[in-house]
Amino acid sequence: MRVWIHFVKDAPLRFLSHLDLMRTWQRAIRRAGLPVSYSAGFNPHPKMSFASALPVGAISDEEYLDIQFSESLSDTEFTRLRETLPKGMTIVSWRPVPPETPPLMSLVFASAWRLPLSQDEQSAAAEHIRLLLAAETLPVLRQGKKGEKTVDIRPLLLRLEITAAGELSMLLRSGGDGGAKPREVLHLLHLEHGELRLRKTGLYLNVGNCLQSPTDVGLKEKEVLIDAEKNCYQL
Amino acid sequence: MKDYRSIFWDTILPRVQKPTRYSGNEINAVHKSHQTTLVKIALAFPDLYEIGMSHLGLKILYHIVNQNESWAAERVFMPDADLEKIMRDESFPLCSLETVTPLHDFDLVGFTLQYELSYATIIQMLDLSGIPLYQADRGDRDPLIVGGGPGAYNPEPLADFFDFFIIGDAEETLPQVLQILAAEAHISREDKLRRLAGVTGVYVPSFYRDTYDDGRYMGTRPVSEDFPPQVRRAVVADLETADYPTDFIVPYGGIVHDRLVLELFRGCTRGCRFCQAGIIYRPVRERSPETLQKLAKKMVSSTGYEEIALSSLSSGDYGALDQLVEELGREMAALGVSLSLPSLRLDSFSGELAQQVQRVRKSGLTFAPEAGTQRLRDVINKNITEEDLLKAASDAFSAGWTGVKLYFMLGLPTETDEDLHGIADLARKVVKVYRQAGGKGRPRVTVSTSVFVPKAHTPFQWVGQITEDEMMRRTQLLKNEIRGGGLQFSWPDAKTSILESALARGGRRLAPVIARAAALGAKLDGWGEHFSFERWRQAFTESGLDIKECASMGFGEDDPLPWDHLDSGVTKRFLLREFKRSLDGKVTNDCRENCLGCGMAVLLEREEKKGDCHHESMDSLC
Repeated sequence: MRVWIHFVKDAPLRFLSHLDLMRTWQRAIRRAGLPVSYSAGFNPHPKMSFASALPVGAISDEEYLDIQFSESLSDTEFTRLRETLPKGMTIVSWRPVPPETPPLMSLVFASAWRLPLSQDEQSAAAEHIRLLLAAETLPVLRQGKKGEKTVDIRPLLLRLEITAAGELSMLLRSGGDGGAKPREVLHLLHLEHGELRLRKTGLYLNVGNCLQSPTDVGLKEKEVLIDAEKNCYQL
Repeated sequence: MKDYRSIFWDTILPRVQKPTRYSGNEINAVHKSHQTTLVKIALAFPDLYEIGMSHLGLKILYHIVNQNESWAAERVFMPDADLEKIMRDESFPLCSLETVTPLHDFDLVGFTLQYELSYATIIQMLDLSGIPLYQADRGDRDPLIVGGGPGAYNPEPLADFFDFFIIGDAEETLPQVLQILAAEAHISREDKLRRLAGVTGVYVPSFYRDTYDDGRYMGTRPVSEDFPPQVRRAVVADLETADYPTDFIVPYGGIVHDRLVLELFRGCTRGCRFCQAGIIYRPVRERSPETLQKLAKKMVSSTGYEEIALSSLSSGDYGALDQLVEELGREMAALGVSLSLPSLRLDSFSGELAQQVQRVRKSGLTFAPEAGTQRLRDVINKNITEEDLLKAASDAFSAGWTGVKLYFMLGLPTETDEDLHGIADLARKVVKVYRQAGGKGRPRVTVSTSVFVPKAHTPFQWVGQITEDEMMRRTQLLKNEIRGGGLQFSWPDAKTSILESALARGGRRLAPVIARAAALGAKLDGWGEHFSFERWRQAFTESGLDIKECASMGFGEDDPLPWDHLDSGVTKRFLLREFKRSLDGKVTNDCRENCLGCGMAVLLEREEKKGDCHHESMDSLC
């Protein structure tokens, strides 16, 4: 049984790295006594992966685990899993997905972020946002395995604004190589220290220029479809 | 009161590396309100989290204390350099992980003394806590500082910094200590210590004085008749019924030994003459396979760990090992949990056993012949032959391993160059065995060495360490010999072993040395990037001592030893007898075959056992 689990990673666990988080889930699943599937080979690994990596220090309302169990699970078993998670990690919902569905990681298109700003930061950021959105290109230097390379992140900024509540709101392309990192955008906005106040508020797949969350999209065999009755963000 | 918790979480944690090690909110960590607890102890491990969290003793004590509703135990480790700097710069005191409570607000701070290289770190942690370093300077409002673990069998170099030590199995002594402190919260510090001195295993150094005659050490004696001339260690008589933690704290980040530990038994009967653990954890006390299986299941379901180490000083000596490994291995494999056997003597190793434990994952193998020739192995009473080693290696290679590590000690008493050539010779034979076993390509045979450090309460306590020049010469000899053809040599760190030796058998006059070294910046000396021999040499010199002389100093048979007033249960007479037999190259058999009269039976006060002791026959063996 393959399942997408939507969970929250809150303040007490904000410093967990990607690897720490993986270990934490693996152990929680064993505590709950759930039959996870293992890869074959010399060093068998449980078949599970996250939809995306969260920067260390950030918290998130929208984390997803894509996991394969060797048997069907009941609600009771998911409740047991929910109860054994450390404080600061909560399962919001879970949905079974067809076995042929591509890995969630490969479907992710964009993510939404919020950052509370002080009065001073707001006015400075508003000006930086204007400049950023007006720019033709926004070259950013990345440290890759094969040395440095320059990436233009301008096309990866889908939305950038300050909300009525005085928060910075960002919608960024993400997933694979095709994403902008929140840190890179914060750097351009001169909000380097903001990373530790960052909250991920949305994760989206893209179906025909409509952004929908993994919880809401329709799934049919290999296909990912729009569920017209659920929330959809039009690009 | 200052809100240490929010300051720490909001303004400090975001600035440090690997913050999860300071977060204190791991699965199974215990958070108790201090309003409702009568006595609180901070369990301090004087090293980084990754080391300290790998230690079984800490888990046992944490569990035992927290089981009692009116007691609270919390953890504290040495912060890494970045956090330490922030704490010093911003005057933020060292706090426990669980509730972010400053150490000076605890009733008791307990340090484990696992290795000499952690001693300066203890001073740093006291300093970071704002607790007066010297016990003589502490008042009624300061916590009591207690030490335990193997180092407590010769705690004299630290005596001035500690209020008391627990000698022996602390799971026996600590609850009695906490009961007294919970009941007598308002009496003076001195009166508390007087009450505690009455508990078996408690040693209060300020009630004992080191005496000298014309500068010559004459022994450490009680200051009054209220205290016994020898403090007897505490022993858990029955491990089967002793409480054992199944609710291990589960760290988020990787730690050194990130796994469950199942203690099969305590103690070892082999009688290796260099080994302190073999003496101070006597007698052998086993848990039954049924109990162990029950514990294992509970541990996995409360932690979710993927590996269980079957632990002891020599797991091959566990009576029902085959049965346990077979049954437990099968049960655990079904849960995706693997077993490991980290302490297997090579004469207990078999290919079959190895495959059983490696059912899920395969890890490295280390064999420890300890010395290169049969003569020297007889001197140290290792009781392992070349044949044993080659058979174990052959089994391992046939079972699919392509490399083994061989561990040896350099500078054992009576060692000659011939013994060193023997090390290289053994390693080459292991390579040959690989080819004979049909191994493809080259094996990886790593010869790993350390310099022998004589320890208190062992038959070799009277001998000095070899000099640094000799360490260098012998290391060079091995470097020249162990070359090519699948061989690798990992040489010893001479400088740290000199410090270990100087501290391991020292007396109270080393206190100012340790305090001075810490003041010069010594800390985390087990880590290459922190250790500075020069700093320690200077600290010794400023106290009028020579570190190298302290390390290579031997004792005469009749000399009083700085730890003579601490009774491990094994008599000095037995140790001396073993020392003499070693110099004659005589081996002594495993004492399961025949009681050797070491003295433990007397300590256990088991009348029926005393009859088995053949003191006379042993004495006639000398």
